[in-house]
Amino acid sequence: MSLPLIVLLPLLGSLVPLLSSNRQRNLNAWSTALLPAIALGIVIAHAPGVVAGEVYHSSMSWVPQLGLDLAFRLDGLSLLFLLLILGIGLLIILYARYYLAPEDSMPRFYAYLMLFMTSMIGIVMADNLLLLWVFWELTSLSSFLLIGYWYQQSEARRGARMALAVTGMGGLAMLAGFLLIGHIVGTYDMQTVLDSRDLIQADPRYLPALLLVLLGAFTKSAQFPFHFWLPHAMAAPTPVSAFLHSATMVKAGVFLLARLHPALAGSQLWLYIVTLTGLVTMIYAAYFALLKYDLKGVLAFSTVSHLGLITMLFGLDSKLAVVAGLFHIINHATFKAALFMSSGIIDHETGTRDIRKLSGLRRSMPMTAALAGLAAASMAGVPLLNGFISKEMMLTETLESGLLGGLAWLIPVLATLGSVLSVAYSLRLIRNVFFGPEAKELPKTPHEAPFPMRLPMLILVGLCIVIGLIPAVIVSGLLDAAARATILAPRPELQLSIWHGFNLPLLMSAIALAGGVGIYTVRRNLFNFQRQFPQRNALMIFEHSVRRLLQWTQVTIDRLENGSLQRYMLWLIVAVLFLTGSGLLDLDQLQGSRQPQPLDGLLLAGAGITILAGLGTAILHRRRLVSLMMLSVVGLMVSLAFARFSAPDLALTQLAVEVVTVILLMLALFFLPQRTPKESSGARVVRDVLLAAGFGGVVASLNYALLTRPMDSISGFFLDNSVSGGGGHNVVNVILVDFRGFDTLGEITVLCIAAIGIYKLLNRLRLFMPSSDSEGRPWSRDLHPMLLATVSQSLLPLALLVSVFIFLRGHNEPGGGFIAGLVTAVALILLYIARGVDWAQQRLSFQYQPIAVTGVAIATLTGLGSWLFGHNFLTSAFGHFSIPYIGEIELATAMLFDLGVYLTVVGATLMILANLGKLTTRHRPSKENEKETV
Amino acid sequence: MIDTALWIALALFCAAIVLNFYRALVGPSLPDRVLAVDTMYMNSIALIVLFGIWVNNKDYFEAALLIAMLGFVSTIAICKYLLRGDIIE
Amino acid sequence: MLDTIIEGAIAFMLIAGGAFAFIGSLGLTHLKDFYMRLHGPSKTTTLGVGCTLIGSLIYFSREDGPIIQELLITIFAFITAPVSAHMLAKSALHHKLKPDPRTRGNPVELESEKPKHTVEEAPQGDSPLP
Repeated sequence: MSLPLIVLLPLLGSLVPLLSSNRQRNLNAWSTALLPAIALGIVIAHAPGVVAGEVYHSSMSWVPQLGLDLAFRLDGLSLLFLLLILGIGLLIILYARYYLAPEDSMPRFYAYLMLFMTSMIGIVMADNLLLLWVFWELTSLSSFLLIGYWYQQSEARRGARMALAVTGMGGLAMLAGFLLIGHIVGTYDMQTVLDSRDLIQADPRYLPALLLVLLGAFTKSAQFPFHFWLPHAMAAPTPVSAFLHSATMVKAGVFLLARLHPALAGSQLWLYIVTLTGLVTMIYAAYFALLKYDLKGVLAFSTVSHLGLITMLFGLDSKLAVVAGLFHIINHATFKAALFMSSGIIDHETGTRDIRKLSGLRRSMPMTAALAGLAAASMAGVPLLNGFISKEMMLTETLESGLLGGLAWLIPVLATLGSVLSVAYSLRLIRNVFFGPEAKELPKTPHEAPFPMRLPMLILVGLCIVIGLIPAVIVSGLLDAAARATILAPRPELQLSIWHGFNLPLLMSAIALAGGVGIYTVRRNLFNFQRQFPQRNALMIFEHSVRRLLQWTQVTIDRLENGSLQRYMLWLIVAVLFLTGSGLLDLDQLQGSRQPQPLDGLLLAGAGITILAGLGTAILHRRRLVSLMMLSVVGLMVSLAFARFSAPDLALTQLAVEVVTVILLMLALFFLPQRTPKESSGARVVRDVLLAAGFGGVVASLNYALLTRPMDSISGFFLDNSVSGGGGHNVVNVILVDFRGFDTLGEITVLCIAAIGIYKLLNRLRLFMPSSDSEGRPWSRDLHPMLLATVSQSLLPLALLVSVFIFLRGHNEPGGGFIAGLVTAVALILLYIARGVDWAQQRLSFQYQPIAVTGVAIATLTGLGSWLFGHNFLTSAFGHFSIPYIGEIELATAMLFDLGVYLTVVGATLMILANLGKLTTRHRPSKENEKETV
Repeated sequence: MIDTALWIALALFCAAIVLNFYRALVGPSLPDRVLAVDTMYMNSIALIVLFGIWVNNKDYFEAALLIAMLGFVSTIAICKYLLRGDIIE
Repeated sequence: MLDTIIEGAIAFMLIAGGAFAFIGSLGLTHLKDFYMRLHGPSKTTTLGVGCTLIGSLIYFSREDGPIIQELLITIFAFITAPVSAHMLAKSALHHKLKPDPRTRGNPVELESEKPKHTVEEAPQGDSPLP
């Protein structure tokens, strides 16, 4: 199937320009144009079939769980848009080759452009609502890049940001709408959705779904009141504007209206919202187009106005109106792209786009003037050009709409008013820029642009004329096909011709032309009238409101997060108390059906000590060292409890972590006051005690309730599969390195990153060291007591042996990489304590960061290694070996993984502890030094 | 015979730990508390070994070994702290 | 017969261990000052724990032949206990804990004369913490 190729080729094409350098401009342009040209060829090859009534589909599964498929379709509507996107896109590539200045990076421009083209093609070919949304967001992103292409200009950056914010927001709303539709229909498949019109419109969720989808379409197509981003997107290079605002980006919104027309249109809601939004946008934007001084500003507002026109046509409840809308999409794309190109040429050759400065350019650039004049005439709806025909159709349809009941006459009148304004600004554009006396004091001397730059214009204007003269021959088939896809019915009888005889629409056209000329002549009064209103810049308002929003969120966050740890704990504990407490209230009785184990003296004593030590930790918290010792008693008792209840592995881990924590706290305690002042008020103490007691009570009850009830946990699975699946008897270790190996990998990565972070934070930190303890006692002069130094040194091999032992046996007996790592780290830390940093570092002359990183790398590579054998990530293989005195050893790839864990733990722990220890070593302030520094 | 001895030993060690904890609570001096906690660690080694005999499982010995090692390191760390303030210098 | 002797040995070791450790801890609780209290745990308790370990060693060696692992802990405990005691004594002296009148010995560290300080380590009085 060649359908995915149409999307894929331009996507690949976004890489092509990056291959050649900025200086080879022709090569760059030609190579970029190659792939979309092939894609266009494929589209054209399909065209006869589509025109004959066929619809091509191609589908691949992508994320089936979400209902997201890589499904593409090629029907008449897609064909129409594809021709516009690829055709005009190729012209833009040619145009941009001559437009971009030598200092602008051409590869970057073309890469963005192709990316954008890909996402547009994706939108029009998507056969799945979610896929459509994905490409929709891609257009927002890639248009952000394109609009912000000249990132050195603040205008471009801000315009890009605004466009992204507005269209991105609309995109999210649209996603919500799509999800609702998906829920109503039960699938995201486009064809099914389009066929389920009655189902959708009967559903109560139709209203929110419609509103959300329309929000997406209106933001993208810059409909009032979301139109404000478009004029500011004019900060983009002109080829970008010509592409985005004639054929693509803004047309995505009206494309969506057309695409979902069969499913969503036809209700009163659709009729009113879409038609009136379009009408208001058309008139509002046309009025402002008349007032703008910037050439591109005029074009921007006229684009908004014409999009309003198309939107209105899609809203009207007649099939012919839809056909007129589709036809106007083609026409608008051709003349607007040509006009944007002409404005780019004028800007390029004169150095300004200000209508007040420009004048009489027809002498210096006659061809551009002629082409722009024709395009503008088409825009104004002058007969014999394509704009005239679609405008005529539009006026006819407004006459026939039943909207607004008794006030139905308002619609054609307002439509005519829009046309009048359209004529006026088109006239102003051409007359002021190309006619009149020759302009003086232009930044550059104007002359005709190079021919390749005018060639795209020539082609487009040629199209305007040909379609205008013989519409039936050129676009009839295409329009038929597109209409079939949009209204799911054969195209209604329509005579595509220039002359329909004398009728009301012709009169309205005549009024529009005459009125436009009239308004143009009295435009001074209009400018004077407008001057009484304060100047409002949408960009400023937007940025201001964004700032306000940020301030508001900041204030709200500050109110919730005031930096007080106590308060966070309070909220957390209250929330847990409430949630678990309410669960406990539902129980009939606390004790479940299981009988508690008998109590003996040992347990009583252990529990008593743990409780008292816990209380002691809290009560003595202001004498920190004592409190710390109480804490370590709690830790010891807990690990004894683990041992008593047959969980030696947990006991080991608890112990190792306990000791490392104690050392860490001792290191930190050195820099903290020995006693903390009394800080809490009486009321606060009461509150905290109540809260703590309540929390303890709830957690204890919860535990009791849980433990006295029979419970089916997943532990059975691990017990059954540990030996057969992971090859180890120590289920805890097998879970860590095999069943849940991916979790462990994540955890050691986090550990490594945290350790590196701490290392970096402490790297240059040197803290002031008090020369006596809190009671004014000078420190002992014996830096490294000899007995300690000697013994710890001789203990080191023993400790390392223990850690190797624990590591090797880990898979079957209690132990494993984590505990072994902590033991090794503690053994080395003992050396640091006994002999000091300098001595230890002299002998351990390696850095700890590479060790930790190597550990993570080994673990990851082990996981990747299983891919080599065609297994899933982190699948382990194993075999058993016997080593004397150590016992049966399991050599599994899980062991290698465990080695990674081991190295990471050693590296990370030492990185943290040794660096905390180093904080004061170098410049221990003596009395002399203190005096000097004071 | 072993069972009886085991129970007697368990009771004695348990009582010893309670006594140690009493000393750790009342102090009065910091070295006193450190000594008490260190002794608790020592007694815990024996207690865990006794658990191992009780359930006839050799695996408890690793826990005992770790307590012996880690208890020593934490005692040394606290002593160093009392003497020098900075335990790693 | 041999089994009975071995069982007796194990039982003896366990009870002796418990008794020693208990006495050591009793000393920790009852003796008058830190210097006296230090003796109980560091000597008696270590011996008690050592006895228990030997008991356990014999117990587990009965079936699978000799096991050295308990010995490892015993060696460890016997090496480290004196060092811990040494460090604890040092810190007690450093803190100038008051000895009971009945405690013999008169270490220099406890003399009340003004100790000579090197310049580097001079006392700072109530030096404020950072």
